[in-house]
Amino acid sequence: MATIERLNNVSHKDVKINTAYSPELGDNVMFSLTFPAEFRSAQAYYPIVFHKDAQSGQFYPVVLLGFQQQENLFLNQGKWDAGYVPINVSRQPFSIGVQDGQRVVNIDTDSAKVSADGEPLFLEFGGHAPYLEKVSGMLEALHHGVEENKGFVECLLEFKLIESFTLDVTLNDGSQHQLLGFYTINEDTLNELTDEQYLTLRAKGYLTSIYMMLASQSQFADLVSRKNKQLNLA
Amino acid sequence: MNTSVKKILIVGGGSAGWLTASLLAADYRFDKSVQISLVESPDVKHIGVGEGTWPSMRGTLQRIGLSETDFIVSCNASFKQGSWFRNWHTHTHPNHYHHPFTPPVAAAEFDIAPYWFPHSDKVDFAHAVSTQAAMIEAGLAPKQITTPEYAFVNNYGYHLDAGRFVQLLQRHAVNQLGVEHILDNVVSVNGDKDKPIQSIQTAQHGLIEADLFIDCSGFASLLLGQHYDINFLEQRHVLFNDCALAAQVNYAEPETAIASATLATAQSAGWIWDIGLQTRRGIGHVYSSAHSSDENAEHTLRRYIGEQGADVEVRKIAIKPGFRETFWQHNCVGVGMAAGFIEPLEASALVMVELAAKFISEQLPSGQRQMAITAKRFNETFRYRWERIIDFLKLHYVLSKREDSDYWRDNRDAASIPESLSEMLEVWRGHSPSRYDVPMAEELFPAASYQYILYGLQHCAGKKSKPVNPRFQQRALQQFQYMAAQKQQLKAGLPNNRTLLKQIASHGLQTI
Repeated sequence: MATIERLNNVSHKDVKINTAYSPELGDNVMFSLTFPAEFRSAQAYYPIVFHKDAQSGQFYPVVLLGFQQQENLFLNQGKWDAGYVPINVSRQPFSIGVQDGQRVVNIDTDSAKVSADGEPLFLEFGGHAPYLEKVSGMLEALHHGVEENKGFVECLLEFKLIESFTLDVTLNDGSQHQLLGFYTINEDTLNELTDEQYLTLRAKGYLTSIYMMLASQSQFADLVSRKNKQLNLA
Repeated sequence: MNTSVKKILIVGGGSAGWLTASLLAADYRFDKSVQISLVESPDVKHIGVGEGTWPSMRGTLQRIGLSETDFIVSCNASFKQGSWFRNWHTHTHPNHYHHPFTPPVAAAEFDIAPYWFPHSDKVDFAHAVSTQAAMIEAGLAPKQITTPEYAFVNNYGYHLDAGRFVQLLQRHAVNQLGVEHILDNVVSVNGDKDKPIQSIQTAQHGLIEADLFIDCSGFASLLLGQHYDINFLEQRHVLFNDCALAAQVNYAEPETAIASATLATAQSAGWIWDIGLQTRRGIGHVYSSAHSSDENAEHTLRRYIGEQGADVEVRKIAIKPGFRETFWQHNCVGVGMAAGFIEPLEASALVMVELAAKFISEQLPSGQRQMAITAKRFNETFRYRWERIIDFLKLHYVLSKREDSDYWRDNRDAASIPESLSEMLEVWRGHSPSRYDVPMAEELFPAASYQYILYGLQHCAGKKSKPVNPRFQQRALQQFQYMAAQKQQLKAGLPNNRTLLKQIASHGLQTI
């Protein structure tokens, strides 16, 4: 369960955040939302693919962190085992809320990350601690990212650039697994776009994002080797 | 497709006319030499037969280029996963069975029915061999919001508002597919009765010539019936129902569950349909005027509807069960009610339109000499289809054990049973229904459908004949267990109908 409260320096004066990453802290997610502005950092570590939202069926880009529900292969003894932590992960347990037309910071006070020790949110006289400043920046980026995703996905769908894919994975013990329910860039369609369509993508700034998604596919091999290592098969 | 049929005129603008026009126009949209026009009278009100479709409608809508989201939103549509028959077996105690759209599991591999016999007292056939009956009873949708349009988790067709469906098809056919729409009355038909039709005389638009005339004028059957005088083969001696009383009933609450199947509840002189759309239910009583007065029928219908619809308006529709002796005569082919009509027990009206439109489109003759051959084949195919529908509907009545009226006893009278059906019933003493009973490639009702009805009505087809072949014993057991496990999984993952319909209205279905 989550209890979402609007963050303020009175009731949350003494709240501290455990900034470690572990299944116990709720970081055992198989995938997490990302957005074009984050692709450059994310593609260096994670496959970036599309997923459909379970409530709306709408596509959104995600970084893939594991092969099955609740599997995050980047969690390692309380640490995040990669040079870049996706914003939608590192912003936990905070989210964006809207109050009187203004964006505000919400906190899930039921999150296991809320603890007695850790990073303080407020300074002695009520000002924002550096950690909270950093979180606010992330939430701002996330907000714009989610907005940007809509246009990005809409344009790609219009040009029929999204296709479903099935990843067949064979682990070192010979066991075979299949990854379903994710979507990627259709390269055949991409290569057959008209000049006009191609220029549209360039003008909207989506070309880089598209190619970064394609490049990120090489991270599937890394994901498989992490899985092998986790099962002591490496 | 190389054809000398360049100009096609569809006469009549109901669902038959606009479906046929849309399908032809979609198939020939890259062939500018084929021109499709539809003339309809501004004065005719459409009957709007059957608010239920078969799963084939998904393919048809996709083929004519409609988005499923647009269709669902604009036609008040919901999902139909089959028919749910209540009290057809006997009248003495409540009973029900399903005819789901999903065939029995592993049907392509082997016939699972004989392996179900030993368990038939514990689990009914539909529940043993498919997951769909359980989903229907749980009111769950056949897909999720993440399932692409026209794709499914469980096979489905639709319940729809026929009036709005015609409007949607018309808009699409005219605006997107370039069908010429002529609003006018047909005054006369020009041509000798033993020759092709030359033209149609209209009140305002003069003469309209065409190479092929498609009669979609409904019961009036302007071309086939009135011009060519083609015999109507009435089938009331087999299927007694000749009247329907139809009503529209609002849901008690905006959040009332929407049923996922057509409910068909047997009555003493007919049966009642109950179809759940997004905003209302369509409920109607089909009955035999020889066995019930209109007053009694209305009383039965109002009792079914109950308090909540105490003041609803009831509309009477006459049904003349039967079909034309010929459907394609010279350069004129009848589609929809102009060709025939049978009570909506298995919602066969729209699927017959789809099948006819596809046949015409795919087999458009290359010249007058070929047209005669195409016509002959069309007539044979559709004669066969009408006869099979009649057999299949009659089966629902023949196997009933109801003793509450002459209606049911008369229905079991050997004289009222077509020979083709009697033959099948004889074969089924020793065998479960198989593809040998229904051998055509495009059967309307495959062997699976016969199995659902027979075993649903507790007929013992093949049960006592011979020991079960042990060859598939293990496979069958696995399949039964698989079905049980699947049911649990699906129940956890599928939304209810109303939830999914709301999600579709807000977000639309993805195309992939």
